[in-house]
Amino acid sequence: MAKVGAVLKKFYTEYNTKTPKKLKIVDAYLLYILLTGIVQFVYCVLVGTFPFNSFLSGFISSVSSFVLGVCLRLQVNPENKNQFSGISPERGFADFIFAHIILHLVVMNFIG
Amino acid sequence: MKFQTLLTLLVAVNVNAFRNTLVLLDNQVIKETHSIFFKQLQERGYTLTFKVADDASLVLSKYGEYLYDNLIIFAPSVEEFGGTLGVDTITQFIDEGGNVLVAGSSETGDVLRELASECGFEVDEEGAFMIDHLNYDITDEGQHTKIVVPLDNLIDSTIIAGEKTMLTPLLYQGTGLLADPDNPLVLPLLTAQSTSYSYNPEQSIKEYPHAIGKSAVLIAGLQARNNARVVFSGSLSFFSDEFFTSPVQRAHGTEKHETSGNQRIAYAISQWVFKETGELRVKSIKHHKDGEQVPPTAYTIMENVVYTIEIDIFDYVEWVPYVADDIQLEFVRIDPFVRTTLKHKGNGKYEARFKIPDVYGVYQFKVDYNKIGYTHLYSSTQVSVRPLQHTQYERFIPSAYPYYVSAFSMMLGVFLFSFVFLHYKEDTPKTKGE
Repeated sequence: MAKVGAVLKKFYTEYNTKTPKKLKIVDAYLLYILLTGIVQFVYCVLVGTFPFNSFLSGFISSVSSFVLGVCLRLQVNPENKNQFSGISPERGFADFIFAHIILHLVVMNFIG
Repeated sequence: MKFQTLLTLLVAVNVNAFRNTLVLLDNQVIKETHSIFFKQLQERGYTLTFKVADDASLVLSKYGEYLYDNLIIFAPSVEEFGGTLGVDTITQFIDEGGNVLVAGSSETGDVLRELASECGFEVDEEGAFMIDHLNYDITDEGQHTKIVVPLDNLIDSTIIAGEKTMLTPLLYQGTGLLADPDNPLVLPLLTAQSTSYSYNPEQSIKEYPHAIGKSAVLIAGLQARNNARVVFSGSLSFFSDEFFTSPVQRAHGTEKHETSGNQRIAYAISQWVFKETGELRVKSIKHHKDGEQVPPTAYTIMENVVYTIEIDIFDYVEWVPYVADDIQLEFVRIDPFVRTTLKHKGNGKYEARFKIPDVYGVYQFKVDYNKIGYTHLYSSTQVSVRPLQHTQYERFIPSAYPYYVSAFSMMLGVFLFSFVFLHYKEDTPKTKGE
């Protein structure tokens, strides 16, 4: 148990010191999305699936936003630069916005 | 009086067109011995063409068109028809909608037996009579073959047998028939008494009789799938002047009737077999959404729909509205999803209102009406039922608000995030530069 505590503590300090601030912003955004998704799921479990299309679009919008956020985080992370050599962070962000536009169009269409 | 004759003349002219009838006889004498029956028909506007059954010039059709609408075969003993007539031409005549009235006797010839079996009846062996030692007429000559049949044995259908009130018992002398009980198209119009059996009265009984009691049919009817009608009577004398006019008295009874019921029953049966009664047709079909007038190109699920059908019946001389309370409508997509009784709205107009089920697909409005004595009425109208349109779903449901909020917060989130993200991006080179 103590070891786990030590690992977590090391992880926290490493994260604080080594992670660029830009990625921390992305992480905060991801945390916000994650919480929204969990709240929706709990609400659905409690209230029931009645407007199922609304639940699906709300929940899927959270999940997809999360996935897109993670993708953006991977692309702008300086450590992954060699993997995305042809793609600049600006290009990555433009893709991110484009995917979001498509996503929200679909979600609005389906939410009823 | 003058006006009345004019009217009957008009009616006669009006209906003559489909009342051409060929009458086949054993010999010309039958024309005289059955004159009342033939006269009845002629008075109702039938054009009777009398021919001897083995006349070499017999033809039913010419250049693919039938010369007659109806056929009466009062020739029990004929072994082979003359001319082009045969069992196959007569069955083809029935297949193409012709009506046939056949009378056999104890000496029914092979060609009539074959015709009977084509129609789902079986005629008892040659020489066999219906015998009833308890219910024979007082004028019987000792073999107890002139039997008295009460009206209870008549089929329970006013459209075939007419009203049963004020009728006296029937006289019958002839052979027994067997009808296939599994054949739903065959109708036993008149069955024998339970004390009677069919056997040759000259011989002592060695085998079990073929036709006994209620299962022996005296007059059998068939309404084919194309609504052509065939009546096969085991007795030619049932239609004779002698039986029409003779008094009836059971040998062991005291009740005496001045005339037998034969004439009225023969009249009713001939009206049925030549389709003067009981022919139904669909006059019009309408269907539309509740509150509208014209049918839509496609219905939507859960809509209220109104279906209206007008049904006519041919009543002796003209088409009149048909009134009943047992006509059903089915809304079918492979299986019936809705089955409802049509409500009579007056003047032969029937209406059903129902809600289309929550299942989309291609449906049919189906009216499939089968009633004893009436022609088979079948009508199906195909319509398509589609799911709700994209814009027809319910909106702004209170319990869905958390989902709406979250979806919009996702949008707002990405909007704000991009500002922060882009703004910060400008900062980084500075910090890196420092």
